[in-house]
Amino acid sequence: MKNEKNQAVGRARDRLQQAGIVFASFLIPILVWCVVSYVPFIWHPKVQVTDPGAVDYFQPGMLVDRAEFDEQRALVRQQGLALPSGEPANPIYLPAPHAVAKALYTGFVTPPVQKDAPWLHQSLWHSIQIIFWGFLISSLIGVPLGILCGTYPLLARLSEPFIEFFRYLPAPAFGALAVAIMGIYDGPKIAIIVIGTLFQQVLIISNTTRKLEATLIEAARTLGTRGARLITRVVLPGILPDLYRDQRILLGWAWTYLIVAELIGTSSGITWFITQQARYQHFDNVYAAIVLIGVIGFGSDWLLERLGTRLFPWDSAKTRK
Amino acid sequence: MNLNPVSSTLQRIGQKMLLPAVLLLGAVGAHAAAPIKIGYSDWPGWVAWQVAIDKGWFKEAGVDVSFEWFDYSASMDAFAAGKLDAVAMTNGDMLVTGSGGGKGKVVVITDYSSGNDMIVAKAGIKSVKDLKGKKVAVEEGLVDHLLLVNALKKAGLKESDVTLVNAKTNELPQVFAAPDVAAIGVWQPVAGEALKGTPGSHGIYTSSDEPGLIYDTVVASPASAKAHRADWLKLQGVWDKVVTYIQDPKTQPDAVKIMAARSGVSPADYLPLLQGTHLLDIAAGKKVYAKGSGFASLYGSTQFVNNFNVAQKIYKAPEKIETYLDPTFYSGK
Repeated sequence: MKNEKNQAVGRARDRLQQAGIVFASFLIPILVWCVVSYVPFIWHPKVQVTDPGAVDYFQPGMLVDRAEFDEQRALVRQQGLALPSGEPANPIYLPAPHAVAKALYTGFVTPPVQKDAPWLHQSLWHSIQIIFWGFLISSLIGVPLGILCGTYPLLARLSEPFIEFFRYLPAPAFGALAVAIMGIYDGPKIAIIVIGTLFQQVLIISNTTRKLEATLIEAARTLGTRGARLITRVVLPGILPDLYRDQRILLGWAWTYLIVAELIGTSSGITWFITQQARYQHFDNVYAAIVLIGVIGFGSDWLLERLGTRLFPWDSAKTRK
Repeated sequence: MNLNPVSSTLQRIGQKMLLPAVLLLGAVGAHAAAPIKIGYSDWPGWVAWQVAIDKGWFKEAGVDVSFEWFDYSASMDAFAAGKLDAVAMTNGDMLVTGSGGGKGKVVVITDYSSGNDMIVAKAGIKSVKDLKGKKVAVEEGLVDHLLLVNALKKAGLKESDVTLVNAKTNELPQVFAAPDVAAIGVWQPVAGEALKGTPGSHGIYTSSDEPGLIYDTVVASPASAKAHRADWLKLQGVWDKVVTYIQDPKTQPDAVKIMAARSGVSPADYLPLLQGTHLLDIAAGKKVYAKGSGFASLYGSTQFVNNFNVAQKIYKAPEKIETYLDPTFYSGK
């Protein structure tokens, strides 16, 4: 009785510790970001002018290289004129954490200024749909093909050399072709995600399938299992947990193609937001959108991992500790 | 028992499933009923159409158009692929797109750049002449490379008198920060960021020094220009209204608000960009569309770009510019 209780307490402590480590793995980079942003003597290669003094081309709010600021200041001092003043600042490309947090918040609560323009969450939802369809279509082809290649060596020898070749071709380079075939809206974007994911998917899954113990397949064959039954009754159950893990990794892969995919055809989704804001150097908004993508990707992977431990309890030994 | 909610839900689901099917059929079949598709992108002279879109002026004029918002180069790709009836682009890029097979005809001349394109130089450099022997960064083959060549020529220099550094337009402000780069050729809003990022820098030559070097236009595919001629003429009428609305001091703030919203910046930030763009109403466009050899004529300007493109080996043989230009669109018929 007592022993069991001790074990339960121990497990709870383990879980707490793990959560702590996850927390720390995020906390460390954020702390570094804070230090670089808020401690004035670390980095801060620029000076933001607060008072231009007698320097003719300075303006309040202007970012100047520190060396140049010092030089102009010395020059003005020699002439005995009003001294400029300013605060150490980082380049515009690195906004501070609070600016990004604020941009994130305002992004969600402010209605779009332009009539009929999508809200931030609508843009994001549009991007998620692109990913969903791209990954679904890729999986519908890639998963069965991968399993077949892994099971039948002849099929693998026939298809894999070309797939090996094709997976090195840069998916975005097919953008113009995709537009020519699929139109200007979501079609070509989904196509780019499919091209980017599918070929890796076939290879990874066929590899996973090949790792299934050969004795299992041999035994099944000896017992007279052939064709579809071999795959549905032996191969698929045997690789399912690994297949699931592969799919999780590949979903992340699909996300990395989102930005290039959405640049094709009409501007839409979160990419439109990121590129447009970057063009006008609103980097707080850009980073807010990047953080959002990260949160969605990490969150969905975390959910899928949870789901995986439920679905495949016998595989729990292999899950991340 | 009230079955209404159930049946309406079913109906809604039915509509949702039907819609894609109908769209698919529509894409295959009835082309005539589809609206005219025009691709536009982030340049003040094209963002201006947003005023007409938001105000519903196309409907008033009885012309069925849908404007699709693009990244500039993506819009030209879509036009070249035949997925758009027309696209907003510069007369130079029209020739480049056409050399690859995506021919077009200028149906509306929206504006010419008047200050938005510039050669930005560091503090010590007073004029274009001082660039001799220095490094100048541009994105080769694009409009501001053309601006640079024009500037050098006027200052009595040759292109070989400077060392060109090729860089992406969006990265030019960072390239400009390098100590050995004396100047860059770039357009707004990137030019403004370069000016802000490198204190003491200033524009030594802008597109207002050579008005008409770069014309911005709406280019329709030859097939659409012919088939929808009446619609294009109606579109010109709408454009005239847009220009008036933007230039009238009374309505300008509202216009700038609409345009700034489309570009995702504040109206105060947008106003200077608009001022660097010389919008052309139909009367002004008519003058520009008259044959001539100087930059005041679309013919002269387009011929100049044509020569530049051949010299830069962007395409081999000069394009026949008469096939791209059709002044009868502006003769009011």
